[in-house]
Amino acid sequence: MVNHHPDTNTLLEFAASSLPAAQSVVVSTHLQFCSECRQRLAQLESLGATMFEDAEPVDINPSLFDNVLARLDEVQDDRAANDANASTMSWTVKQIRKGNLDELQWKKVTRSLRIADLGDIDGAAEFSLYHIAEGGSIPQHNHSGTEMTLVLQGGFSDESGSYHAGDFITREAGDIHAPTALPGGDCICLAVLESPLRFTRWHHRWLSPLLQLRAG
Amino acid sequence: MVDKQGEGARGQPATSAWSVPAGRRTDEWSKCVVRIAEHSDRAAFAKFFSHFAPLIKAFALSGSSLSAAHADELVQEVMLKVWQKAAGFNPEKAAASTWVYTIARNCRTDMFRRLQKFDTQLEAEDVGFELEGDEPTMALHASRGAVRVRELMSDLPQDQAQILAKVYMEGKSHSETAAELGLPLGTVKSRVRLAIQKLQVFMDAGSEE
Repeated sequence: MVNHHPDTNTLLEFAASSLPAAQSVVVSTHLQFCSECRQRLAQLESLGATMFEDAEPVDINPSLFDNVLARLDEVQDDRAANDANASTMSWTVKQIRKGNLDELQWKKVTRSLRIADLGDIDGAAEFSLYHIAEGGSIPQHNHSGTEMTLVLQGGFSDESGSYHAGDFITREAGDIHAPTALPGGDCICLAVLESPLRFTRWHHRWLSPLLQLRAG
Repeated sequence: MVDKQGEGARGQPATSAWSVPAGRRTDEWSKCVVRIAEHSDRAAFAKFFSHFAPLIKAFALSGSSLSAAHADELVQEVMLKVWQKAAGFNPEKAAASTWVYTIARNCRTDMFRRLQKFDTQLEAEDVGFELEGDEPTMALHASRGAVRVRELMSDLPQDQAQILAKVYMEGKSHSETAAELGLPLGTVKSRVRLAIQKLQVFMDAGSEE
């Protein structure tokens, strides 16, 4: 049972396709878990479609239709070419959506923490998977930007509550927390950070460069 | 909503959304897509094109987000996808207008991406979510919602309607909208939420936030 969802603003930006790519991946992965948000997305898309339908039509040059007709038969070939050009990020996103997390490159950071840096992507200072061993935790940190987290497996708790698979958590800049994996299994989270994390405890400062894998 | 009136908005009284029942329109266009899928019916495609291509162009030109040449390119891309993806359309699960809107939206995002706005090689379909309509009541709720939304739209305060238009039609993020209107981000966010509440978009809406 999913208890934490993206807010209306985030889901609407997703529905209108104006959410940056990294945040969109987190939202769309949440949608795989959450039928309530799928319903809400359908309603928000339907609102977009209503506005689209009610737009004042703009004249089309008749030659445009002829151009399209002439190209109808070449469509299949284009699609094959696109597949061949699929980028690394496109592949990475597919692995996340399919749950093939072992395919990704993991780095051990502490005894109980492993991180897979997912690479450069629009809208993110950092886009990563976190694997926290049962009972392990991520050092206390605050954010200089908004962080969106989705629990993929297991669960974690922090100062504000407990979260389980499918839960979508937003932390605003300035929130401080130290997530700890819940008992019962390892916890895997997908997280996107708008701008770099800063650790608040001096003895964890050495971790910052590792965690700020993509600090700009 | 479309600020390129000079491009020649054409008077099509019959397409006024306010006077035509949504159900019938939906049905007509859904039948077109099914005929395209099952019979590669070019006449059905022509009919679909003549109705939707001018709307796609309007969508492309909203807020001058694309040049006229790019808008024409977008129309072609979207209509080619309509032809290519028609077999995947299920009229029981979605209205044809919603289906073509999501194609247009994705194609435009991909075009923005190609034109400089983003660096990562990704397509809108990679990061989006294609609703399967697997929940039995989803399409029904969404289309009933659309009828009600039309009724309520005219009562929406201008400042909220303007923001919804920027977000949906122009494809602007909340922060881009805030910057353009010279408003704090929080104001844009709360106006969006108010508009969604007033339009009763979430039918069996539990909590809004």
